[in-house]
Amino acid sequence: MLALIYFIILAVIALGAATCVLLSRHPLYGALSLVVSMVSLAGIYGLLGSPFLGVVQVMVYAGAIMMLVTFVIMVLNGARDSRTPMFDKVSLFIIPAVLVLAALVGVALVRAPLGFDAATIRGSVAVTSETLFNVAQGGPGYFILFEVLGLLLLSAMVAAVLMAKKRLGSVDSENVEEKH
Amino acid sequence: MELQPIFIQILALAIFAVGIIVAISRRNLFFVLMGIELALNAVNLSFVGFAKTLPAEASLTGQIVPLFSIAIAAAEACVGFAMVILIFRNRESVDADSYSNMRG
Repeated sequence: MLALIYFIILAVIALGAATCVLLSRHPLYGALSLVVSMVSLAGIYGLLGSPFLGVVQVMVYAGAIMMLVTFVIMVLNGARDSRTPMFDKVSLFIIPAVLVLAALVGVALVRAPLGFDAATIRGSVAVTSETLFNVAQGGPGYFILFEVLGLLLLSAMVAAVLMAKKRLGSVDSENVEEKH
Repeated sequence: MELQPIFIQILALAIFAVGIIVAISRRNLFFVLMGIELALNAVNLSFVGFAKTLPAEASLTGQIVPLFSIAIAAAEACVGFAMVILIFRNRESVDADSYSNMRG
């Protein structure tokens, strides 16, 4: 009973913040609403019995990714362009289409028999990390995925740096060099 | 009345729908990327909700895969915002319609 009350509170906060993202005009307000939504989702993870995932959600999503988002919004001063309308006429068709799709999936979900299993493992830090870094011969092998993920993040970082920096030899970079 | 798995799935579905609506119908590029993040979050929540309906080892798998999904979302946000910086520098606009010069 208590779990249901906590879930309803967190769900209302998460959904309300998501709606704020849809309706806010300034991108920075949207980003802050997104942080609220992500933190309440982390609370739901903890409630469901995956505290490690909740902590990762707070650290990586609400911390790192949203910090990057707010940083880029503030660096580019994205609100400077205030002529861009929030919605256009295409939105009138998109919103009912997505709602109908959600209703169809919702009907399919409600008809499916679902129940909590009593034998689920609580994803605590110890259990999760033991499974993740189990390098035994017959183990699950998640550590290989982990290594591949490190490579992916490195390549994404290199790609981002290469794309976002000013081109060497371009007019901008030569002007900067002349000033020095 | 106790907490049922279907409530979690319905919440994930609602957040996913809101995220898709934000990503497709908003014109500001920042909101497009934020909508994608919101939809990815909803998928993670659905993953954990389904994991709790499975017994022992399978439920642990369902709680580890979202970790990888979060890390891939980090890589996606990194590259996505680098592209936004790159294009914004040329166009001085955040309207998604002003980036349509690749249209055939």
